[in-house]
Amino acid sequence: MTDNNYLQVDYLVKYFGDDRAVDGISFGIPEGKFLTLLGPSGCGKTTTLMCIAGLHKPDAGEIRIGADPVTSMEKSINIAPEKRNIGMVFQSYAIWPHMDVTQNVAYPLEIRNMAQSEIDDRVAEALKIVGLTDMADKNATQLSGGQQQRAALARAMVFRPRLLLFDEPLSNLDLKLREQMRVELKRIQHEIGITSIYVTHDQAEALVMSDEIIVMSKGNIEQSGGPHAIYARPVNKFVSDFIGVANLTEGRIVGNGGAGTGTIEIAQGGEDVQLPCLLADGLAEGDDAYLSVRPENVNASRKPVDGPRIEGEVIQSVFLGNCLDCRVKWGEFEWKVLAHSRERLRVGEKVYVSLDPDHTLAVKP
Amino acid sequence: MSFVEITKLVKSFGPEVAVAGIDLSVEQGEFVTLLGPSGCGKTTTLRCIAGLEHPDSGDIQIEGDYVTSATNDVFLTPEERNLGMVFQSYAVWPHMTVFDNVAYGLRIRRETRAAIKEKTTKALNLVGLGHLAERYATKLSGGQRQRVALARAIVYNPKVVLFDEPLSNLDAKLREQMRIELTRLQHDVGITSIYVTHDQTEALVMSDRVVVMDKGVIQQIGDPETIYAEPTNAFVANFIGVANLMEGKLLGHDGELTEIEIPLGDGSAPIRLRATGAEGAPVDAKIILSIRPEDILLHLEKPADASNLIEGEVIDTVYLGNFLDCQVQVGPHEVGVQIDHFEELDLGQKVYLSFTPDHGLCLTE
Amino acid sequence: MTTDTASPHIDVAPPRGWRTWFTQENLITTVVGIIVAVAVFLPLIALVINSFLVLDDLGFDTEWGLQNYREVFQGRVIRKALVNTALISTGCTILATLLGVSLAWVNARTNCPFREQLEPFNLIPFFLSPFVGAIAWHNLASPKVGLLNNMAKSIFGISFPLFNVNNLWGVIWVTGIFFAPLVYLFVVGSLRRMDPSLEDSARTTGAGLLRTTMTITLPLVTPAILSGAIIVFVTTAGEFGVPFKLSAPFGWETLTTQIFTKAVGDDANHYLGAAMSMVVGVVTAFFIWIQHRIIAPRAYTTVTGKGFRPNLIDLGGWKWLAFGYNVFYVCVAVILPIICLLFVSLHKIWSGSVIWSELTFWNYQKVLFFWWPESIDAATNGIINSFILAFGGASIAMVLAIIVSYMIHRTKGFGSKMLDFLSVIPIGFPGIVLAMGVLVTYIKTPIYATLWILLLGYITRFFPYGQRNISSIMMAVSEELDQSSRMAGASWLTTLRRITIPLLKPGIFAGWILLFVIFLRELSISIILYSVGTETLSVGVYYLSNFENEPMTAALSIAQTVALLICVVIFRKVAGKEALTA
Repeated sequence: MTDNNYLQVDYLVKYFGDDRAVDGISFGIPEGKFLTLLGPSGCGKTTTLMCIAGLHKPDAGEIRIGADPVTSMEKSINIAPEKRNIGMVFQSYAIWPHMDVTQNVAYPLEIRNMAQSEIDDRVAEALKIVGLTDMADKNATQLSGGQQQRAALARAMVFRPRLLLFDEPLSNLDLKLREQMRVELKRIQHEIGITSIYVTHDQAEALVMSDEIIVMSKGNIEQSGGPHAIYARPVNKFVSDFIGVANLTEGRIVGNGGAGTGTIEIAQGGEDVQLPCLLADGLAEGDDAYLSVRPENVNASRKPVDGPRIEGEVIQSVFLGNCLDCRVKWGEFEWKVLAHSRERLRVGEKVYVSLDPDHTLAVKP
Repeated sequence: MSFVEITKLVKSFGPEVAVAGIDLSVEQGEFVTLLGPSGCGKTTTLRCIAGLEHPDSGDIQIEGDYVTSATNDVFLTPEERNLGMVFQSYAVWPHMTVFDNVAYGLRIRRETRAAIKEKTTKALNLVGLGHLAERYATKLSGGQRQRVALARAIVYNPKVVLFDEPLSNLDAKLREQMRIELTRLQHDVGITSIYVTHDQTEALVMSDRVVVMDKGVIQQIGDPETIYAEPTNAFVANFIGVANLMEGKLLGHDGELTEIEIPLGDGSAPIRLRATGAEGAPVDAKIILSIRPEDILLHLEKPADASNLIEGEVIDTVYLGNFLDCQVQVGPHEVGVQIDHFEELDLGQKVYLSFTPDHGLCLTE
Repeated sequence: MTTDTASPHIDVAPPRGWRTWFTQENLITTVVGIIVAVAVFLPLIALVINSFLVLDDLGFDTEWGLQNYREVFQGRVIRKALVNTALISTGCTILATLLGVSLAWVNARTNCPFREQLEPFNLIPFFLSPFVGAIAWHNLASPKVGLLNNMAKSIFGISFPLFNVNNLWGVIWVTGIFFAPLVYLFVVGSLRRMDPSLEDSARTTGAGLLRTTMTITLPLVTPAILSGAIIVFVTTAGEFGVPFKLSAPFGWETLTTQIFTKAVGDDANHYLGAAMSMVVGVVTAFFIWIQHRIIAPRAYTTVTGKGFRPNLIDLGGWKWLAFGYNVFYVCVAVILPIICLLFVSLHKIWSGSVIWSELTFWNYQKVLFFWWPESIDAATNGIINSFILAFGGASIAMVLAIIVSYMIHRTKGFGSKMLDFLSVIPIGFPGIVLAMGVLVTYIKTPIYATLWILLLGYITRFFPYGQRNISSIMMAVSEELDQSSRMAGASWLTTLRRITIPLLKPGIFAGWILLFVIFLRELSISIILYSVGTETLSVGVYYLSNFENEPMTAALSIAQTVALLICVVIFRKVAGKEALTA
């Protein structure tokens, strides 16, 4: 919580009936950055966004943009959404079907009683940025999903709002288009430099687009940080499981090598195995912890390897084109292994599993 | 004579030709997938097999008997063909219980009460829904409904089970799980299956053989590994997985390898590369080089071995957690490279790409 | 952290958050909500209270008691009327359901020839006045002056009357053919929207065509059939015009005709009328409750997959029989009645057969030329009043409908649920019942005997119809369309004006025309609430039928029918072909 944060949310609480959808969270974001609220459905991410937008009224807490509080329940301030000067892009695009693209984008400027010449200039500029110049006269209903989303973005930014909010804007698009739009959206945000808050349940989207990610669950913040930090160094089981795919198994810290390294002991199939690992902050010797390692950092080979011996049997080998998605059974535990497709591991083969210590983590339960 | 034999099947809707004369054989117990973009004719082909569409011409034989034959003027109605079918919308009858849904086909076949009870229970147990037999279909989740539909289609031991994009209404996680489960079940029951999908991963994971279709015509038939590693044309290369496609011309053959030249446009010298494929093609023939992103190595410094080397500039990077997708500008081409570790790359940075000749495939149109 | 507390917006710190309640939308929607609640509840409460007041023998004083109800269930006349009402409703429901379901199936699921051209004709009776239908059938098939009977006599020499509609059977026949479109509308949509793979999967499982129809298709539309049947039952129980014209003069009274005699005229007893209205209202409200709470939620939501087109059944040679059946329906429900009325209206005196040499427009002059001194006031007043009421009523009701729909679908909490409930209630009470309530509520106020009381009755009873038109669109239109306007900087009212209402335009037009049609033909509310000078079109028809002659009645009926048919054409243009059936 620092003063140089452009948007600051403090102790935000929102109930739906008896359900505490947002449980007193605080966070901030510096000007011009792209922040993603990531979490499963029902984690409170959309509710938080709606409170920032002013479309929901929180039960407690304060939201400040620049120096102005837009919501402060203690001071009984809750500025109407239209007076907040915030742009928003919705999941359903929300392009008004009774207007053409230009009318849609011009609308916020008309509301602000701008001169027609300036409206024309700004609309043209916004459409150019999102690549819809050719579609200016098209009716909204004639646009494809991706084009509608571009129009929605143009409309949200044309009045140069203080913040841009995105509520799962890509989730209605099909996979290919979604991947393409992620990159495009990120590029546009960089270009216009408006501070943005993005809500999604799609972890890949969050990794690709964000400067900063806040992982939420049950109304609380689980972890925040840059995409690489979140993916490579999750702090607890929830984050490890939710972001990407992880091999997660219960264990105990049995050694501390200093500088954040240590040893974790896991037990399966009657064997105890001690593995060198990196420790999440706050874990000490003797603590219960989870081993977390990504499938691409697990190696399965037909020959024995140095170090801790984990011997198992391939029980599934699924060809995905660019890689092989394998399961190696070791005691009760199934190692998820992502192997190169040219390795051709077959079901029933005996293999030796080894882990890269630099990517082996001990995380909090 | 194969178990299912389709010859010269043609079906048009008005002026639009949906299926333009395809031939296909399916062996007993085989799992064959018809894969292609929407409108490629895959669903129409399936519905012709089911008897839900009346083909314009062509024959379909199942177990040696004609079910549709324009030449012999045979057309069996769907109920006379003894097939099972699973639909995209599940089509579980909402006014019946799970048990009644599954037992329907047996009752029509006038099986005894005891046999109905036994077979239905067995089928429900097979799909893991034994405990929900008395539930109404409206009270089930999407995944459960699809299992009911599956049990209903296999319970009376039909000759062939037809699947019409059965997983496309499910969310991503459930879909992945159901793929594996369906494959396992099909192997256990050993029933001949024809599966329609537009999802290439689904096709690769599940099938014994994949039939790639486009514009009503079969583009390639083969097992998943072959389809992925040795596509016969640019459409298949790009539809299955991701491929970098670059046009060039053939310079000559050198043993098993093919020497090619890729022009880089005005002012730049063309690059000369060694790859495989296009064995029979003459010198100067037009070829398309296809390389998978995961088969390209990225170097920050110019490597000592300068063969098969391509120079380029980083124009975009996308961090996806388990790998980094990097777009490199090479002359007029944008080449996608997949790096399996995290690397700080600046936009505009100069990089070197290389690949082993085995991984580059020359396609001739 | 140092927060900037020197923001210019704040001077005092009031108690937690109460100031944040006063917003445009909260104020406007609350006011409208209260108005609707008062309009709906007041007449019903008045009805309950009045039904327990018993008039003494002199007719001056009242006291509390159950005597009115005793009279309803034990009094000779009223008890018989109660039985007749039950018989008519049951008979009409059976007939309308058979007609509606079979016609819907023929149109939605078979290759019956010209079915697309026939469909709009199947729906026409939905827009016309059943009262006029009764007048037409009276002239077609009453024993003495029936055109069909006279034709049978002159052509085939049949001397006894072939048809007789002046009894319960006649009422069942006319209401049955006129309410069949209600069932048709429920069923045809359900048949068309059904996911074809539900039937395809039965076929691939091994079921033949007939078996698939009987075990899959029909059970899936059963909730729609039941919904349609209940609506027909309730509508018939509240129908006044048809029994009043066809059976009441011949000794077959119903509860509605009895309520009418207790509301106006020499024998008026509002308290007894209120009690009878209560009986009808409780029964109809109960059935509507069943339909809403038990049957409608069971309608199978039919998700559509890809390649969506309903399976059509090839009837082979039988398709011409289906075609003939459909044409027969259109003839008896639309064409014959209109032709008959046309002929009758062109005679000065109607004796049961067409006399070509005596055709004249005299009757039309009498009932339409309001500037002409010899015109009949009740008819000409009726025309003017009805257009005023239809125009004003439809407009006001749609404004209410928009705001009420907005509250139901876009706000949460008590107000939303309450309004959802309120907008169902008027549907549960037949017009004549609600009119009785309005009458006893406002009889001692200045609005009695003015057009205002009619307007109030119309709007209270029928605004839910407009509200449903709006609601169905509002549910399909994402709330995010409104929210994005707020985010763009527009206030609630601006958003309503520039985004919400334009988006709802098709629904608003369709709803407006539907209400215009309903108000233009309205009889059972008007007949209770009108007085001299505030006659409506249908009251005019009633007046002519009772105090003048059949040709004049027919002339005004034709005028009304033409106006309604024009509305039907506009409705289809504006709302699209599928507005009612999809």
